[in-house]
Amino acid sequence: MGKIDDTIPDIGFLAALVLTIVFGLALQLAGDWKLMLIAGALGALFVRRTRIAFLVGFLGVGIAWSILFVYLSITAQAMAVADIFIGLLGLYGLGILVIVISVLIGALLGGFGGILGRSLYELLDEFLPSDSEEKKSSLPEPEPVEEEVTTEE
Amino acid sequence: MKRKIVNLALSFIGPIALIVILSMPIGPLTGGLGIIQPVGGIFDNGAPEPGSQTITLTGLDAEVEVVIDYLGIPHIYAESIHDAMMALGYMHARDRLFQVTMQNFVAAGRISEIVGGYANSSDMFYRAIGLKRSAQASLDWYEANAGTYPEVAEELDAINAEVEGANAFIRTLTSATMPMEFKVLGYTPELWTPVDCFVNAKMLTWGLSGSIMDFQRQWIRNSLDNDSMYNDLFPDLMPYTIPIVQEQVNISYVDYPLAPGMAPATDDPGQYTSMALSGEAVIPEDKLEALITKMNDVIKPLGDMQFVGSNNWAINGSKSSTGMPIVAGDPHLTLQAPSVWYEAHIVVPGELDVTGTTFPGLPAILIGHNDHVAYSFTNVGADVADVFVEQLNPANPDQYMYNGAYRNFTIHQEDIHTKEGTVIPFNVKESVHGPCIDSIWTTYNLDSEDNPNLAMTWTGSGVTHEMIAAGLFMKADNLDEFIDAMYWWDSPAQNCVFGDDAGNIAMLVVGRFPVRAGYTGEFPVTALNDSVGMVSNIPYAYNPREINPSRGFVQSANQRTIAPDNYGYDILGPQANGYRARRIFYLLDNNDGISVDDMKRFQADVVEVRAEVIIPYVINAWDSVGDGNTTISDAVDLLRTWNYDMEPDLVAPTIWMYLLDAIHEETFDEISSVDPAIPLSRTPILEEFIVTNNPYYFDDHTTVPVETRDEILVRSLFSAIDTLSAEWENEPNWVYGNRHIIFIDHLAGFTYIGGGPRRGQNTIDVASGWIVTHGPSTRLIADLSNIEISYMAYPGGQSGNIFSPHWEDNFALWNSFNNVTKQHGYHVMYFYTTADAFRSADTNDSMIERTITFVP
Repeated sequence: MGKIDDTIPDIGFLAALVLTIVFGLALQLAGDWKLMLIAGALGALFVRRTRIAFLVGFLGVGIAWSILFVYLSITAQAMAVADIFIGLLGLYGLGILVIVISVLIGALLGGFGGILGRSLYELLDEFLPSDSEEKKSSLPEPEPVEEEVTTEE
Repeated sequence: MKRKIVNLALSFIGPIALIVILSMPIGPLTGGLGIIQPVGGIFDNGAPEPGSQTITLTGLDAEVEVVIDYLGIPHIYAESIHDAMMALGYMHARDRLFQVTMQNFVAAGRISEIVGGYANSSDMFYRAIGLKRSAQASLDWYEANAGTYPEVAEELDAINAEVEGANAFIRTLTSATMPMEFKVLGYTPELWTPVDCFVNAKMLTWGLSGSIMDFQRQWIRNSLDNDSMYNDLFPDLMPYTIPIVQEQVNISYVDYPLAPGMAPATDDPGQYTSMALSGEAVIPEDKLEALITKMNDVIKPLGDMQFVGSNNWAINGSKSSTGMPIVAGDPHLTLQAPSVWYEAHIVVPGELDVTGTTFPGLPAILIGHNDHVAYSFTNVGADVADVFVEQLNPANPDQYMYNGAYRNFTIHQEDIHTKEGTVIPFNVKESVHGPCIDSIWTTYNLDSEDNPNLAMTWTGSGVTHEMIAAGLFMKADNLDEFIDAMYWWDSPAQNCVFGDDAGNIAMLVVGRFPVRAGYTGEFPVTALNDSVGMVSNIPYAYNPREINPSRGFVQSANQRTIAPDNYGYDILGPQANGYRARRIFYLLDNNDGISVDDMKRFQADVVEVRAEVIIPYVINAWDSVGDGNTTISDAVDLLRTWNYDMEPDLVAPTIWMYLLDAIHEETFDEISSVDPAIPLSRTPILEEFIVTNNPYYFDDHTTVPVETRDEILVRSLFSAIDTLSAEWENEPNWVYGNRHIIFIDHLAGFTYIGGGPRRGQNTIDVASGWIVTHGPSTRLIADLSNIEISYMAYPGGQSGNIFSPHWEDNFALWNSFNNVTKQHGYHVMYFYTTADAFRSADTNDSMIERTITFVP
């Protein structure tokens, strides 16, 4: 196995974002918000810079949760649930705030997951051989060639 | 490399911080903020109900079909009672898990485990009175006696089935089915155990009969320091009361020689009532006040005893338009969301076909009808809890004097466990008279008593058998079987209205009534030997009851059970003022050919009898000695034309509310001048003083001239209008419904049902106070000429899920009022004997919502 960043290509911000949205949706269906760290980390596989990894995770999970909330508002009274919940904190009629906070929480989980993932991949890559080194090690030892002697003027 | 390790380490900061923040309790949100994720948190609770389902229920003997009607009411069709109760247990847990858990944990003194240590005083109280200990004792008795009595074995099997069914649901809880309240509280519900059923039953019993009036009476009497005045103003027997039982029917003492629940009984109460009375044991005032205050603060799942009331009545064929009995019942409790009640219809061919309300967590239809009989309950309100002041051993406070020697208290270790993980050590001492209820409060340093010594004897303590009765009476086919079933019903004492398809009606006062020796039961006493105390009971054969009385109807509304002159035993009150009963009696006595529609109108009746009897005197007083003040005259004119209906769109009810308070305050200055905290005398006493023109109490003793009744009534008018004008400054129209509003709070305060104007006051359709938080907890009208078309409605809905369409749909019916028919809304209690018959009747898909099929 070669280095992670050699194996998985940098597909660009937008494509990575779309993938992260898919990861966010799929993992959230498992019903555990901690998995959003993994969604962000998975998105970070497809970009190289830490800042971009954060953005991909943040926006990817944020959009995924927003999509879910739109769906739940239509099918499962998400606004009514949010209204009751915010009422417990004494903020009656501000249910939308619960959804905004929830999306923000999801986005932060994704973003921090992205940073964590990128940092992890980069550290792991330190220990993993690069593809070229792997190939090199699998080839037969080349014949020694005579080196040209160069002289400095 | 080093930089990358540092980067990785730093990248953990954000996730760890978020995990901590999202998991930590925030205010009331002990479940953490993580629950606001879109899936797997609170938003799952808004999802629609699934359609028809097939669910495996291990332990069933055969398939059970549960047809759920358009109100979410399950109609359970099973092959055996065991299977039916398993299905009922599953449905109870599915629809009311949070409610049952809360009532159970409150009653068991474990609520601190769910909500936190701040609730420990409630836990201490319930552990002190020992509902859980009594529940365990009852379960042990059932298990020990199941081999002797088949009915005990059957009830035990039903209880176990209820628990199994509930646990089948709890074991398969998902985020979608986990109540939102538990998510917010961060609590995972436990599996039920059979003792939990008994705890629930004990909670119901305590809520209906657990009032310790001894403290209140002693505090009032000692504060007044005038026994003559105390006897005048605070009698046990209210004037003008129409007793429930007027044509007493005894049944065979040979057949029923014991008191209910197989308790010992005496047919010679005179041997005890002739004994010399022990002196009242005076509890130091500071301790007394602390006890009363603390008891008022304890969580009461059924509400304050003063709000626990009810109506029920039945007419026989001589009074009804159908020629057959019609039974009506509306038990009054503090209204809660979800409701105290859960409707169900249970069919087991050849054994059971019964519909009505269950108490979630108990395997029985407590109010309703089967294919032959209908029944409902009101609370007797008798004083069946007494306080005994134990004489402690000065050298050892763990001992008390009894029968000439010091005995050791039994000490129960009842440590309180809290949600925070702390353990609060707590012991309860118990004497031969019962648990020391002052174990719970640190009042001892206020007085000379350093240790608990106030033992409570309560008929609901220890082993009770009401569940056996419930298992039997819902299967009764006739009056004899019903009466036989009630031989087991020992607690709480109830007025049970009955009607059957053989044309019988009855009012059966059921429950165990103690016979006291050596004391009255009104005040705390010291009983140093076994000759003083609740030494025996009224034999069931002689319990108050009416069967087919000559007047053609029976009625009860928590008033005096039976006139003392007509009964050989003492039943100690306090019981209700009797105004609702007077109105019910009037309506039934003065109407013939009464139909089901009439019965609905009667249940919606809002005539204020108190106003009907008092206002004519006020008007006369104004006309006689009034000074012509135009504001008062205008108010009096409104009262002149009022028909005494407490309707929300009228002004007169508002004036009446202020006027009644003012007359009380102006008349009973003898009480308020001693201590404003003492409750003023009850309205029947006021009525008696007005009617008899009592010169002593109408005189204001703080002034030199002697005031007359009419002067005091006019002064009350001024006082009432002054207060009303000041308090309603911004609502000058004084319309009653502006402030007479119904609010039914969610058990954990998440939301409420209602919010609109409400009819009634201290009326048949009861709605006391300004903010209505208690009232008819269900309404039943059962027509024995056509039992398939009977009616019910209750203020709530079947589902405990706030977002379910069945959260408050029944409330909408219950609260609706048709101004033309003068009736509230009801639903027909569908009563089909098979699921297929039900489906066949549902020709336009409006009756059945879906079906759950339970398979073994």
